Amino acid sequence: MSDKSKGLNKAREIYSNNSQRARELKAAGKKIIGYPCVYVPLELLTALDLVPYRTCGDIKEPVTEADRALPHSFCPIMRNCLDCALKGKNDFLDGMVTIHSCDPQEKTARIWESYTNYPYFHFIDMPVTVRPEALEYFKSQLNDFRKTLEAFTGKKLPKDKLEAAIKSYNQQRTLVRELYELTKPSPPRISGTEIVQVVKALTSLPVSEGNDLLTEVIGEVKSRTDVPEKKLTRLLIWSSTLDDADIMQVFEDKANVVMNESCGGIRAYRAAVKSTYDPLEGLASYYLNEITCARTFRQATPGETGKDYARDLQSRFGYLKGIIRDWKISGAVMLLVRYCDPFAFEMPSLKDYFDSIGVPSTYIEYDYTTGALAPLRTRAEAFLETISQ
Amino acid sequence: MADEKKKTINRLKSMYPLRAKVNETYLKSVEAIQAGKPAVWAMLNFYYGDPVLKAMDVEVVYPENYGAIAAAMGVAREYLDRADAEGFPTHLCGYSLTTLGYASRMMKELKGQIPPEAPLGGMPKPLFLMSSAAICDARYKWFQALGRYMDAPVWPLEAPIPGIKEFFIEGYYGRMVKLGVKHLRDFVAFVEKMVGKKMDWDKLDKTANLMIEVNRVWHEINELRKVNPCPMHSRDFWSAMPAALFLAGDLEDSLRLYQDMYKEVKDRVNSHIGAVPNEKYRLVFAELPPWHSLSFFDKLAERGWNFVIESFGYHPPIPLDLSKVSDPLERITKFSLQFLVGYYEDARKQNVLGGTSAYPYLKYAKEWKCDGAILHPLISCRSASTHLPYVSDMLMEKLKVPSLSIEGDIVDLRLFNPEDALAKAEPFEESMEHYRKVRKQEGLDW
Ligand code: SF4
Ligand code: SF4
Repeated sequence: MSDKSKGLNKAREIYSNNSQRARELKAAGKKIIGYPCVYVPLELLTALDLVPYRTCGDIKEPVTEADRALPHSFCPIMRNCLDCALKGKNDFLDGMVTIHSCDPQEKTARIWESYTNYPYFHFIDMPVTVRPEALEYFKSQLNDFRKTLEAFTGKKLPKDKLEAAIKSYNQQRTLVRELYELTKPSPPRISGTEIVQVVKALTSLPVSEGNDLLTEVIGEVKSRTDVPEKKLTRLLIWSSTLDDADIMQVFEDKANVVMNESCGGIRAYRAAVKSTYDPLEGLASYYLNEITCARTFRQATPGETGKDYARDLQSRFGYLKGIIRDWKISGAVMLLVRYCDPFAFEMPSLKDYFDSIGVPSTYIEYDYTTGALAPLRTRAEAFLETISQ
Repeated sequence: MADEKKKTINRLKSMYPLRAKVNETYLKSVEAIQAGKPAVWAMLNFYYGDPVLKAMDVEVVYPENYGAIAAAMGVAREYLDRADAEGFPTHLCGYSLTTLGYASRMMKELKGQIPPEAPLGGMPKPLFLMSSAAICDARYKWFQALGRYMDAPVWPLEAPIPGIKEFFIEGYYGRMVKLGVKHLRDFVAFVEKMVGKKMDWDKLDKTANLMIEVNRVWHEINELRKVNPCPMHSRDFWSAMPAALFLAGDLEDSLRLYQDMYKEVKDRVNSHIGAVPNEKYRLVFAELPPWHSLSFFDKLAERGWNFVIESFGYHPPIPLDLSKVSDPLERITKFSLQFLVGYYEDARKQNVLGGTSAYPYLKYAKEWKCDGAILHPLISCRSASTHLPYVSDMLMEKLKVPSLSIEGDIVDLRLFNPEDALAKAEPFEESMEHYRKVRKQEGLDW
């Protein structure tokens, strides 16, 4: 299997040069719209024949340009993303869609809009709770998003096209879950590093091309003989974003990372958009309720008048229990990007949760630069050593 | 006291009774709580939830303020260390860490008793927590994290933040109002259940009106500061603001006291009396002041620096006629939304689309005719710091107003170095002088 234009090789190629396909599509007359966060409903873009492109950071790129616009003590991922934009690395974009998923996303969106000049720029506000009135508000936000896209493209969005786009993305979600089924065996049939490359490739491609790639990758992985080496520990990494193969490799040198619960891994693919009479209803509900990012305030019962800590933990982290059982996780790393408040506040409680279900865990912080790799390695190795004793 | 005599800021007489009321209210509240009255922990929420709590007659403590008090009184360190030991990352908001450490000490070590070292009577275990989605993520995640120590339920108040351009999409405002009203209605039901009594809607109606009127007068006072020399210094603003921003104290008293303040400021305007003797430079201050080093402003006043406007996050909403809105919850929602969107029309016209919290500074610098801006980024409060580089850039690009950035922190008070900052005053004066000329050349009128 050395065909460079297929499967894992292709994913690796796209990962290393992730704007190439978008540039080609742009040259062929397509309009490319950037988005910095998995909360942006890509279905609406695709349904209007726009190509979504995730504007990621690059840990190898020292931040220089973003310094004039954002302070140093600020989410390094967003600083890095903005820096890449200000350096013209996304100069092929026809527009950007930003979203209030967290405070740094919201703040960066403002700056991004001010310092760039794309023909289209939109900001989606997002409530913090999953209460019914919040859901209704969020749905209206998606409707506004639709309207601005229609104005930008000069086309109406027919319901059937939106439904078709939802179907394609749901298929992508199913395929990614299928890919993760292949990390269940011991040793896993695919490494965490390879999955990071595949997922990043998906966010750089139109959905249909992403689905073709996934189908190829799954076929290849199922029949491969060169599976990853079996390691002592089967790790789960819980993070905001883990989208860099070098970072993942730090952990995989001594462990098999069989689950990447971040938006560079399974997070945006764990559930599916439900079919509803008004497709925006299903989309709003999926994006607000189903993506398990720490930015959303969850509680055992909305508006509860009492608090039970165990139930609270269950409502926030309960979904991890099934993962831990099914993937036979033997250790968990809570990987925190420095200055990421939504995730940072979770650390002690998530540790409590892991303790309550008997999974050894540790919290490691890094700052999304190559300089962070060496200390990260030391911390990772120390943890792996402790739990293997 | 030798230092007292040197003070050069001409403080408003009317500020003292207002401040005394705020302090007295705080002490009364501590007494009531100590006598067993239930207390609620609340975040600064930009008016959404405060009138509801006030109408329900519950005592409210603000851990964000308490964090500042603990830092100033030198007891924050112990709580910060505890939060660290509990596994909270040290780069989190310093006030949140202080509260988390405090809660851990109170609940884990002292079985619910207020820690004896806690300043000003401490914060008792709350009946419930009212958090807010406004301004920063810490404000609701922090209260959620407190669930580790206390069985008190949390209500996170939604606070929409529209984009400036997006806000003008047809129907947008109406949808925000709908969210706010429904959300507050459910919040009232929640508070009723927690407190065990029904809302007195007439009282809420009256509270909402008083809140709006207090803030209107407060706004008018600040408008008077546009004149030269400016009659009121930022120090008076910061001393007087809790009555309007947190609704501290009896609102009728507050209204009367703000009206007195209006008269005094107006008299000063008529008599050309400035807040500093020889006003040479007019400045804007962003955002949280160095609470523990406020005498720093006296030193600057000696050089003729007058701080004529400040802290957007503390300023009252631009007045909006809400007299025809019969539902008090709708009135409260619209008033709260106005805090942010009151600036949007102007910001859009001037194409400052990034400026949800930056645009107000452009307006201030222009209308209050500022020569310079002092920016105070805080290491452990990112939300008060994020927009500052952008503010600095915009002030220079659009108005040719220079900025001076002086770093500080909300809990590590040593980070703010008044001597260092004062050493920068002279070169900054040169810069302000230079840009005065540049503004003239560019046709700007100050
Ligand atoms: S969730 Fe965290 S890592 Fe992601 S953008 Fe927000 S602050 Fe940054
Ligand atoms: S980060 Fe700043 S604004 Fe947010 S809660 Fe802390 S002190 Fe307040």
